[in-house]
Amino acid sequence: MRSQVYEWDASRTNVSGTEMTNAQFGSALSIFVGGFGNNITKPAETTATQFCVIEDIAVTPSAFVFNSNIATTLSTYRGLPTCNAAGTSSGIAGPRAYVQIRINTTDYFLDPDNVGNDGVPGTASPYPRSVNFQPCFNLYPDVYVLPGQTWDVRVTAYQSNNYAAGDLVAGNLQCFVKYTLYDGPDALIANKLLEMGISVNPGNVDWYKRTLIQSQGM
Amino acid sequence: MSMRSQVYEWANLSTTGNFMLRRGLNATAVAVPVDREISVFTGQYGNNITKPAETTATQFVVIEDLAASAYVGGAVQVVINTTSYFQNPDVTQQAGVPGTASPYPRGSSDSVTSSATGIVDNGVQLLNAFELTPDVYVLPGQVWDMRYSQRLSNDSTTNTALGVIGSTLAVAAFVKYTLYDGPDALIANKLLELGVTVNPNNVDWYKRTLIEQQSAAASAAAAAAAGGAQ
Repeated sequence: MRSQVYEWDASRTNVSGTEMTNAQFGSALSIFVGGFGNNITKPAETTATQFCVIEDIAVTPSAFVFNSNIATTLSTYRGLPTCNAAGTSSGIAGPRAYVQIRINTTDYFLDPDNVGNDGVPGTASPYPRSVNFQPCFNLYPDVYVLPGQTWDVRVTAYQSNNYAAGDLVAGNLQCFVKYTLYDGPDALIANKLLEMGISVNPGNVDWYKRTLIQSQGM
Repeated sequence: MSMRSQVYEWANLSTTGNFMLRRGLNATAVAVPVDREISVFTGQYGNNITKPAETTATQFVVIEDLAASAYVGGAVQVVINTTSYFQNPDVTQQAGVPGTASPYPRGSSDSVTSSATGIVDNGVQLLNAFELTPDVYVLPGQVWDMRYSQRLSNDSTTNTALGVIGSTLAVAAFVKYTLYDGPDALIANKLLELGVTVNPNNVDWYKRTLIEQQSAAASAAAAAAAGGAQ
């Protein structure tokens, strides 16, 4: 039973070999195998003896500002870029980024008309968190990835005109996932808890183990 | 996945005209009418969806948080069917929760202006003075809406306090809710009947209670069968 994290930065090149550029704005990119930013070698999936609980997701925040900024050079608002040339700001500082969870082929976050949406705005769940940008979203209930399922975290950003042409630089667009990986016997217990309608978390897994031990008269 | 955390963010940003479906690249802020409630789903300003938000017969929605931009007197109201949730003490209409009480984003300023050198704010970092407790329930078959309104114009041509003439301020609203679907929606209804708060913990508690009852009944039946066989 292990707490795990994954951080994605659009400017890194681990495994993917390619930094994200303005051209990728508007498309949902997998932070694991999307081909831009730091990637891993294969899609995230649970084996038959694993159970994954996604507990938090966050992405670079944005701020709502003015659509016309007469600054003559690249300007920023609270550390976020507002335009890449004079007078081109759209009204957003930052990337206007969203983060979606996908289990197998199903998007987790939907619009009220039942259409998959972009996910959680970075403005609601910012990464990194700061005094200027604090969360008003927590992922509760957690998202369960059952044994044998493939899961993905996908980032969509829309405000390419806030960034200079070319590759993004470190910190321009980042995403963070926190999850707990249950393996082996703990994954079996996690499945059992799920059947019983009990939230899967380390406390309840420990409680189930104690119950088993007590029932054996130890 | 029959009990899911959901979010919806609205902003007065559009790539064409005053509104667009979903979102688009480099959308720009549009002027929003003053003192008029705008549906964040189908209000024809900013990003919209295809139809009003409604629950089906097998859905139950619990609205847990809402927030709005703290600028220009922004506020957000919840409407269930035709009834506004937030009312004045004399039961008259009001705008709802002010953005200054539930700011979006948390930590934002309550005053921002455009200038020749960029965006300037007053350095305030607002925190929320409001929490939506108790939550708002949208029962199966109901239509619900979130409506944004503002007391002052977000267009600097009208509201010169915003700074550079010709600039339009982007404003936003946010709602966080949990969607209960299928069996979990039935349990949510049952909890409502019982007077128990509908939240994921209590839905899980009700499931456990059902399982325990079934296990006890099965044990009793087995014991009775064993007794009859002797």
